[in-house]
Amino acid sequence: MEGKEEDVRVGANKFPERQPIGTSAQSDKDYKEPPPAPLFEPGELASWSFWRAGIAEFIATFLFLYITVLTVMGVKRSPNMCASVGIQGIAWAFGGMIFALVYCTAGISGGHINPAVTFGLFLARKLSLTRAVYYIVMQCLGAICGAGVVKGFQPKQYQALGGGANTIAHGYTKGSGLGAEIIGTFVLVYTVFSATDAKRNARDSHVPILAPLPIGFAVFLVHLATIPITGTGINPARSLGAAIIFNKDNAWDDHWVFWVGPFIGAALAALYHVIVIRAIPFKSRS
Amino acid sequence: MAKDVEGPDGFQTRDYEDPPPTPFFDAEELTKWSLYRAVIAEFVATLLFLYVTVLTVIGYKIQSDTKAGGVDCGGVGILGIAWAFGGMIFILVYCTAGISGGHINPAVTFGLFLARKVSLIRAVLYMVAQCLGAICGVGFVKAFQSSHYVNYGGGANFLADGYNTGTGLAAEIIGTFVLVYTVFSATDPKRNARDSHVPVLAPLPIGFAVFMVHLATIPITGTGINPARSFGAAVIFNKSKPWDDHWIFWVGPFIGATIAAFYHQFVLRASGSKSLGSFRSAANV
Repeated sequence: MEGKEEDVRVGANKFPERQPIGTSAQSDKDYKEPPPAPLFEPGELASWSFWRAGIAEFIATFLFLYITVLTVMGVKRSPNMCASVGIQGIAWAFGGMIFALVYCTAGISGGHINPAVTFGLFLARKLSLTRAVYYIVMQCLGAICGAGVVKGFQPKQYQALGGGANTIAHGYTKGSGLGAEIIGTFVLVYTVFSATDAKRNARDSHVPILAPLPIGFAVFLVHLATIPITGTGINPARSLGAAIIFNKDNAWDDHWVFWVGPFIGAALAALYHVIVIRAIPFKSRS
Repeated sequence: MAKDVEGPDGFQTRDYEDPPPTPFFDAEELTKWSLYRAVIAEFVATLLFLYVTVLTVIGYKIQSDTKAGGVDCGGVGILGIAWAFGGMIFILVYCTAGISGGHINPAVTFGLFLARKVSLIRAVLYMVAQCLGAICGVGFVKAFQSSHYVNYGGGANFLADGYNTGTGLAAEIIGTFVLVYTVFSATDPKRNARDSHVPVLAPLPIGFAVFMVHLATIPITGTGINPARSFGAAVIFNKSKPWDDHWIFWVGPFIGATIAAFYHQFVLRASGSKSLGSFRSAANV
């Protein structure tokens, strides 16, 4: 019971105990909006669930990069597209892996696996600054290790085939790449907000197990749309991991697009969800 | 035990309740933020829908054009395009179901209007928002890659060579029937009661219905079954060929939605005869 209370307090447990039968009728709403997370919460540093959550983000991002970059390498190495899983297969690798990993880590860390998602949720006051920074650092480290393992398998081919790094394709401007990253990340983070919304969870009879599916689909769909433009970042850790391990000029030249774009997209999604869809500030006022 | 059981007082008790028909004009809803929020949600959802799907179409055509640097089997394939449409409907319906009902399609709005599930005001506002969102979504795609967009057909719907107008119209009618009929089934209060009220599962069959119709009719018309989608691409692409065939993508979907509404309301749910029955019993009393 102590452990559970601790988890509930630090917010690691996203699904608090349901109200006992009969008492829910006393409130006019069948859901409870969690209070805004404090900016700094020193107490959570002393809790194992905090450190465990960061480790979970590290492992998840590591596996994500390993599977996805290895899939990209397989397609690139193939003699022709027809002999490989193709671009659609790459999109499935990204989306499917996010689905599986969010499912596994949703109850541990919230299943972000993406600094842009962490940033968006931070702006919506869902987690503290300390936790947000910790998650982002662990995600970036996990991404570097994941891409590193792929390079370890075949160092020469990895370098010759582009290392799965994100760059803006020939024929597109930096503005187009930035725009694609902004809108792509908006789709993803907005889906995350919808999937984790307290109001929707109540009306969906508290079946949180289903939340990862639309999130995975969102990643898959954005990859289908923007792989021709940027190889699809929408995840700064993914872009950073590949850029560091590949370490060529062309990867670094455009790298800023893959941080600025996702963070702007996440901010827009947070604004849209909190201000327009949920109108939370106006409710607080009244 | 049967779902519909006779209560002690002689009245039937059901574990579900059909909502009453929505009035055509509901002046009160104009004063609520939830209406405008729903319209905004429909606009944003349709914008994102067109942006991702048309971008996927153009991207595929670029990467598979062997005369301009593309390769055989390049791009995500026609299957990937179908996934883009179906998958996008799935996540957008999922995100906006609790806000606006997650229509994202004037044909769906029209079908639900015929079934008295949305008011006339709401239906018209939704359709306008959907069309504007579609135009903006395709506008983004063109802004990001203007020359590619124009060279590769702009993602616009038109009849493919070898098919006549009647065939295209029939494909749109039946395709939209599949979609709207799935929407009615997924949102049926009777089925929700028996599925233990887990509405989160509703978007999945709707998305799959869109996906499968696209698998079938992309070769014929590029698959409209969504007048806003066809309208947005036609406006931004603005060539004569898409406009010549454009009427098919409004008439077909609206006919399909009408047939689906009739089939579900009067054949499957038999609400008409139940209404008559209640009148008859009232007269007897």
